[in-house]
Amino acid sequence: MRANFIFSEVWIGLRRNLTMTIAVIVTVAIGMALLGIGLMINAQVGSMSSYWSDKVQLSAFLCAKNSPFDACKGRGGVSQQEKVALQKQIEAMPQVDRVTFENQEKAYENFKAAYSSNSVFLSAVKVEDMPESFRVKLKNPDDYKAVFDALSGAAGVANVVNDQQLLDRFFGLMNRLRSAALVVALIQVFAAILLIGNTVRLSAYNRRRETGIMRLVGASNLYIQLPFVMEGTIAGLVGGVISAVLLMFAKIVIFDSMQKFFALATQLTWSDVAQVITLTTVVGVLICILASFVTLRRYLRV
Amino acid sequence: MIHFDNVTKVYANQNRPALDHVSVDVDKGEFVFLVGPSGSGKSTFLRLVLKEERPNSGAIHVAGKDLARLSNFKVPHLRRRIGCVFQDFRLLPNKNVYENVAFALEVIGKPRRFIRKVVPEVVELVGLEGKAHRMPDELSGGEQQRVAMARAFVNRPMILLADEPTGNIDPATSIGIMKVLDRINRTGTTVVMATHDAAIVDSMRKRVVELEDGKIVRDQSRGVYGQAY
Repeated sequence: MRANFIFSEVWIGLRRNLTMTIAVIVTVAIGMALLGIGLMINAQVGSMSSYWSDKVQLSAFLCAKNSPFDACKGRGGVSQQEKVALQKQIEAMPQVDRVTFENQEKAYENFKAAYSSNSVFLSAVKVEDMPESFRVKLKNPDDYKAVFDALSGAAGVANVVNDQQLLDRFFGLMNRLRSAALVVALIQVFAAILLIGNTVRLSAYNRRRETGIMRLVGASNLYIQLPFVMEGTIAGLVGGVISAVLLMFAKIVIFDSMQKFFALATQLTWSDVAQVITLTTVVGVLICILASFVTLRRYLRV
Repeated sequence: MIHFDNVTKVYANQNRPALDHVSVDVDKGEFVFLVGPSGSGKSTFLRLVLKEERPNSGAIHVAGKDLARLSNFKVPHLRRRIGCVFQDFRLLPNKNVYENVAFALEVIGKPRRFIRKVVPEVVELVGLEGKAHRMPDELSGGEQQRVAMARAFVNRPMILLADEPTGNIDPATSIGIMKVLDRINRTGTTVVMATHDAAIVDSMRKRVVELEDGKIVRDQSRGVYGQAY
C-alpha cells in the first residue's frame, strides 16, 4: 500500500471537483451543526430537569403593604393570624410533603444567589421589595391542581407560582427548538448524501481512464475505491471541523447567554460540548463514507 | 496456459451467441493470432480470459486457475499475471512515459525502489530509451503503443493479450510493434493477439485461430490470414 500515491490521487480528485467538494463541506457542516445543537439542547434540558426534579415547589406569595396584585387590593399586608391560618391550612392538605415559610431576608438571599450574574438587576432590588412566601413541596409535582386552587383563593395570598408549570413551558419551548433543529439537520444530511453521491459520480467519471487501467493491471478493489472514499471522508472531516467551530460558537453565544438571561441554574459544560462535537463529527464522516461506498458500487465497476 | 472448454457466451439482449461452444488450448510460451471479421467473437474471447465477462456455459482455465471458481476478490491477482494492449493505447495523457509505465506498478503497491529499477529496463525493451520523459501527445502512434506494451509487460505477466494493437498504426510502424511483441514472446510470455491485419499474420507464421460468428473455423499451427482462397 503506497500512502503517498493514494493521497496524491485524493488531492487531484478533490481539486478537480472543487465546487462539489465545497458544497459537500458546507452541507455537512450545517447539517452536523444543527444535529449538534439539537443534542446540546437535549443535554441542557436533561441537566436542568434533573437539577429541578427535587426542587420544584409551589410558592404562595403573600400580600405586602403595596402589593399590585388584585387579591391584595383594598387591604394592607398580610396579618399574623392569616399567616398562621394559611400554614395550618397548607399542612392539612394530603398532597403536601412539607411547607416552609420564607421571610423577606431569606427571599432576598435566594434572589441574590439566583441572579448573581446580573448586577444591574441586583442593585435595583432591596430587601423590602421581596415578598414573604410559603414554599410548598408537593409529594407529586404533577398533583398540584387542588393545592394551587385552594391557595389562590386564600386570604392574604397575592399569587401562587407553580415551578412545574414554568418549567414545563420552558421545556416545551426547548423541545420544539430541538425538534426543529433535528428536522433541518435530517434534511441537510439527506442533501449531503445526494451531494456526495453526485461528487463521487463526477469523480469516477473524471477518472474513468485511471480506474480502467487500474482494473486492467490488477489493482485491488480497495486500491481503486480508496481514493474516492477518502475524498468523501476528507470532505466530511472538514465539514465536521467547521461544524465543531459553529457548535463552540453556539455554546458561547447562545447557551451561555441564555443561561444568564433565564437564570437556568445549570450550565452546559465544555465536556458536554466536546461529547456532542465528537458525536457529530463521527456521524458526519460515517455518512460521507457510506454515501461514497454506495455510489461507488453503482458507478465504478470493479 | 489458456484453456477453453466448450465455452458459450451470450450477451444480454442478444439472441446470437458471441462465442458458440468454443474449445481451444493455448500452451505456455505460444504466440497465437486470433483472426476473423468484426463481431466474430475475438474481443469476447479476450474479455473472458480477463474475467471481465462470465461465460454462460463451459469452463475456462487461465494460468491454472478455474475462472468459475475464482472469487471476485481474487480477480485482481489474476489480472496481475495478464498484460493487456489495446488499439487505442489507453495511456494517461497527464503522465509522461515513465509515469505511465510506473502507474501499473504503483497501483498494485510495488515498492518505489523496485519501480525505479524495473521501469527503465522495460522502457528500453520496447525501444523508447531516451524518451522516458515525453508526454503521450509528443509521441507518434507507434511510440504510444510501445508505451502501452511496456506498461502491459512491466509486471512480467505470464500472458499478454493484444486486441488489434496495430489497428491505429501504419504498416511500416506495425512491423516495429510486432518485433516488440515477438521479443516479449521470447521471454516466455504467452501472447494472444486479435487482429485484422492479414499482412502481419502472414509474415509472422505463427499459430492462427480463426473465429466466425462465434465459432472456431480454423486452427493452424503455422498459419496465414487466409482470405486468399
